[in-house]
Amino acid sequence: MDELKQVIRKAWLNIFTVITVFNLIIMFCLYYAISKKWLRLDYNFYIAILFFVILNFVYFYKVTRKLFKPFETIWQTIAHLNQNSQIEKPDIESLKIAHSLTENLTKQITQMSISKNQATLEMNKEPDLKHNFIAKNLPIPLLVLDNSENIIFANEEFARYIGLQVEDIINKNFYMIVDMSFPSEDTFDVWLKDSKLNRATALKSWVRVRIAIRDNHPIRLFDLAAYYNRDNSFNETTIITIFDHTKQYLQDDNAIGFVALSVHELRTPLTLLRGYAEAIKEELGNNANQQAINFLSKLDVSAKQMTSFVNNILNVARIDNDQLELKLQPEDWSNIITDSVSGMLLRAKIREIEIKIEIEPNLPLVGVDRISIYEVISNLIDNAIKYSGSSKEIILKTYLNRDGLVETLVQDFGLGISENILSNLFTKYYRDHHNRAQIGGTGLGLYLSKAIISAHGGNIWVTSKIDHGSIFYFTLIPFEKLTADLKENSNQSITTTAHGWIKNHSLYRR
Amino acid sequence: MAQKNKKILIIEDEFLIGELYVRSLNKEGYVSELVIDGAEALKKAQTNEYDIILLDLMLPNLDGVEILKTLKNPSLTPGFKAKIIITTNIEERKDIKKAIEKEADGYVIKADITPSELVTLVNSVNDGQ
Repeated sequence: MDELKQVIRKAWLNIFTVITVFNLIIMFCLYYAISKKWLRLDYNFYIAILFFVILNFVYFYKVTRKLFKPFETIWQTIAHLNQNSQIEKPDIESLKIAHSLTENLTKQITQMSISKNQATLEMNKEPDLKHNFIAKNLPIPLLVLDNSENIIFANEEFARYIGLQVEDIINKNFYMIVDMSFPSEDTFDVWLKDSKLNRATALKSWVRVRIAIRDNHPIRLFDLAAYYNRDNSFNETTIITIFDHTKQYLQDDNAIGFVALSVHELRTPLTLLRGYAEAIKEELGNNANQQAINFLSKLDVSAKQMTSFVNNILNVARIDNDQLELKLQPEDWSNIITDSVSGMLLRAKIREIEIKIEIEPNLPLVGVDRISIYEVISNLIDNAIKYSGSSKEIILKTYLNRDGLVETLVQDFGLGISENILSNLFTKYYRDHHNRAQIGGTGLGLYLSKAIISAHGGNIWVTSKIDHGSIFYFTLIPFEKLTADLKENSNQSITTTAHGWIKNHSLYRR
Repeated sequence: MAQKNKKILIIEDEFLIGELYVRSLNKEGYVSELVIDGAEALKKAQTNEYDIILLDLMLPNLDGVEILKTLKNPSLTPGFKAKIIITTNIEERKDIKKAIEKEADGYVIKADITPSELVTLVNSVNDGQ
């Protein structure tokens, strides 16, 4: 603006000089006329001259203003287009001189400016293209989601990793494409929901995430990292990357393979032990010595006990590696209790222990995995038998508790557990030092029971008093409540793991 | 007895277990036969002479899963009629186990049952025929 003012000032000065000179010539002429007495010099004459000079001045000021207004308008237009300027858009309509010319010029300038800005944007995009190229070819799987969890970018590596093409993934919902299961309830979708509600940005990683097998594509085990940014102007809300550890984690699985193999080897002689005990019993027939029959029963019970223990080992290995998968189905709890206890009766009988069952009538159906829950009941009864001491009674009671959960208790009247170790009781390999010398076992049973009950969504706890016995309680969720909580169709079964529901985008997976 | 003349092929690599199963099943009235080798077992099973097959998974020469697949594939074993009960002591991975259970008519862990309990299971599968 200063330069323009200078130009205007100079122009004005030049014009003023010309006009002044012109005025001086007139004045000289006047002076000459007066000296020749052609004009009379008096007071009115001076006023007329002064008026004339002022009029000149104002007139030429106005003329220069109007003459330079188009230039000023063009300058203002250019200045206005500068993004950082505070200059307002010029008012072209008020132009009296060169209106259409100025209007055309300003339009052209504006158009040029827009084109330039676009070009600049394009220019700026070049690094984006570069980044895009890097991301596309990055040998680490990379995925970008928008605010609705649709995939807006996936690199080649990611597509390859999940066995699909990039074009099959783009614009699809993330959860529809990637079916992940997590070792705990702390899953990606829980984190994302929480982040959306409470955070502007968030960063998190998960280990031992599994991707489901798709069309014979091999299983994948990996660590996952995700970054959430709510205020991202490009709607690139969540960025996900994966670090493959399939080999390492599968090796851990193979450790389970070793356990499974050992279990197989142990089971073969156990099958034979039970088979021969039964065969001998049959061969001896009804005339056999009762003592011998009794011994054979004890042999069978021992073999059966060892079979349970072997199953426990395998299940603990599975829990530790998140491979215990339960299928919860609606079951009549009283039937399960009766069936499970009948399997334990012989074991109790050889210790001359009576198991009393009290089942509250009309219990709702519970959501349980039959085989696993059987293991819980048999572990708890087995414990009760082991720790009964000289007492000859075990009570198993089941009822609907105040929270609407099906609660079951197994009570013995034996040795009891000292208070200071109660809290460690459900820890792996933990056993009561006080009783360890007298009672066999590995301490796996309660650890396993807790894991199974947790996977059912229930709780397990214990109350005990030394020399008075212990009561183990556990709760199960009625199937209707379970399905309501998970918004699940009640006709379907529900799959869970020892560490919680198998989750991804929702609370469960069928 | 309904099970009279019903033929059972016991495919079991542990001879002693097989022997116990043959004893109990024959006592019940079945005609059972024991085979240890996987490849030989498949040939026998494909003769289609049997009503029920007890199939172990860990076998010499040809494993049980392969035998199951071959028998249940109509183009490989046309008109196959026998019911197959998997009798194993291997804990398969859940997904593999599911796949096997889908094809077979029963699945049992041998250590969990006595021979007489096996007979009960075979009877129920036989009755379902």
